[in-house]
Amino acid sequence: MECRVLSIQSHVVRGYVGNKSATFPLQVLGFEVDSINSVQFSNHTGYAHWKGQVLTAEELNVLYEGIKLNNVNHYDYILTGYSRDISFLETVVDIIKELKKANPSLVYVCDPVMGDQGAMYVPENLLPVYKNKVVPLADILTPNQFEAELLTGRKINTEEDAIEVMDLLHKMGPETVVLTSTDLPSKQGDQFLVALGSQKISKVSDGTNTDQKICMDIPKVDAVFVGTGDLFAAMMLAWTHHHPKDLKTACEKTVSVMHHVIKRTITYANEMAGPGKRPTPAQLELRMVQSKADIENPTIVVEAKVLQKSSQ
Amino acid sequence: PSPHPPSLTAMECRVLSIQSHVVRGYVGNKSASFPLQLLGFEVDSINSVQFSNHTGYSHWKGQVLTADELHVLYEGIKLNNVHHYDYVLTGYTRDTSFLEMVVDIVQELKRANPNLVYVCDPVLGDHGSMYVPQNLYPVYKNKVVPVADIITPNQFEAELLTGKNISTEKDAVEVMDLLHAMGPDTVVITSSDLPSRLGDRFLVSLGSQRHVRPDGSRTTQRVRLEVPKVDAVFVGTGDLFAAMLLAWTHHYPTDLKTACEKTFSVMHHVIQRTISYAHELAGPGRRPSPPQLELRMVQSKADIEDPAIVTEATVIS
Repeated sequence: MECRVLSIQSHVVRGYVGNKSATFPLQVLGFEVDSINSVQFSNHTGYAHWKGQVLTAEELNVLYEGIKLNNVNHYDYILTGYSRDISFLETVVDIIKELKKANPSLVYVCDPVMGDQGAMYVPENLLPVYKNKVVPLADILTPNQFEAELLTGRKINTEEDAIEVMDLLHKMGPETVVLTSTDLPSKQGDQFLVALGSQKISKVSDGTNTDQKICMDIPKVDAVFVGTGDLFAAMMLAWTHHHPKDLKTACEKTVSVMHHVIKRTITYANEMAGPGKRPTPAQLELRMVQSKADIENPTIVVEAKVLQKSSQ
Repeated sequence: PSPHPPSLTAMECRVLSIQSHVVRGYVGNKSASFPLQLLGFEVDSINSVQFSNHTGYSHWKGQVLTADELHVLYEGIKLNNVHHYDYVLTGYTRDTSFLEMVVDIVQELKRANPNLVYVCDPVLGDHGSMYVPQNLYPVYKNKVVPVADIITPNQFEAELLTGKNISTEKDAVEVMDLLHAMGPDTVVITSSDLPSRLGDRFLVSLGSQRHVRPDGSRTTQRVRLEVPKVDAVFVGTGDLFAAMLLAWTHHYPTDLKTACEKTFSVMHHVIQRTISYAHELAGPGRRPSPPQLELRMVQSKADIEDPAIVTEATVIS
């Protein structure tokens, strides 16, 4: 496989978030990963303490210039996630535009990280940048419910709402949208959350557009994980690469990988914490290296349901 | 003692690697992390620089980490009480204050875990000349090497650190003994221009490991390897070597022969794959460019996980 990804995300010395979360799994799956570290922190910000340095928009530009001067600014994928800085995000947008000019087939996988459970955890002024500049360039988008509602200005109370929101997101740019988690009620009960996906596929043969919409019931886990969204976006990149017109399979593999990694992590964390004690952030770091076999070849543990397949 | 096959052991082994990061390509932490992670090591990495690519390309751009910034990162780890490592791994550095901060960190980590193994590639130069600032030399000699447990100098670096020239295998053995006396129990001279028994298409590498027997007496195992030369300039191979020596001495802590055979074999597979691909990309009769010569790391996963042994080490007295 000759497939090169440019991933612009955080680096932590210890643990698995941002580029630390995305890089190893993608490399294990055979992708060449070029990584620009937007920050270097000791660990993620969920620990009691964290320290480190951030990359400025100017420094990001300088790094990109180096790649460009060597005429190696050719990528098949770009992957971005958590950002806190508008000018940094806007520089990312400029870089993506230029890379898309260099390779019109480039796929931009974007996790529009803004918040969760009804609250923003990035500066508010990132929303217009995501809405007006970032999402229009994205090809694959992995918002959670809150982010999807924020980007479209529409609330999701029912499955129909979710479908409408995904269609609105398609209109903004991305052909593939995955609502990574919602609080829609699952048919399997309250131990499950509902995720949905939608992919627009154009048939070259007759010019018709079809779209595949799927939904999945995902077991909830009673713990706060950090870095799982980054792993999710990276694995969506990988599995949509292998199943470009089959969102059902791409999502089943992605969600299954997540399941295996999370289960291994929570088991280990509980072991480390001891009976009756809640594991610490350090203990809850994803068991990434130990999950290599599951990453390479995930046993499917979730079946996605195809919701509608309509031709227009 | 029989070694544990990496795939079957639930290994809990944490490495702190303090090396360069390049956006594109495989040097420093980019060269060391993936292979170590494949082999089941937890790798914490402090990036001493972030450059677009290594400095052998026509152009390179980026930023360096100061000694203070390194300290700040370490402080973060320490404040969370997670500054517990089984290994520390360092390589190419250009800054004396940075290197001195690394030494302080290693000393503190050794106090936290007296069994910590510090694997140090004392990158100073090659083929008779230094390619780091000269004032790094006394820092390596007086501060770094004394706290190292495993060092991987080339011939030039070994000569520089000991002040002794290597013209024969006997010289090399003496130099390795001098290096042991400075600190490290394991020394591998990664390449030398000693004549190989297999002819001039081969270079000679040597290794030496000191052990203390149960009765308190000391023994030294010395090995020699004939390594095929490759007609190309690779960057990042030394970083891969040190990382793989870390891994294979971990699995074979008292068997330097096997640890070296595995390490040199991995190198061989990665380099062969790289040179084939580079020539393919460059086209017939053309010398591959630095981007084309980037190590085929990701593609060498199987060889890294379980290297077929292609070179046999000779035990020498």
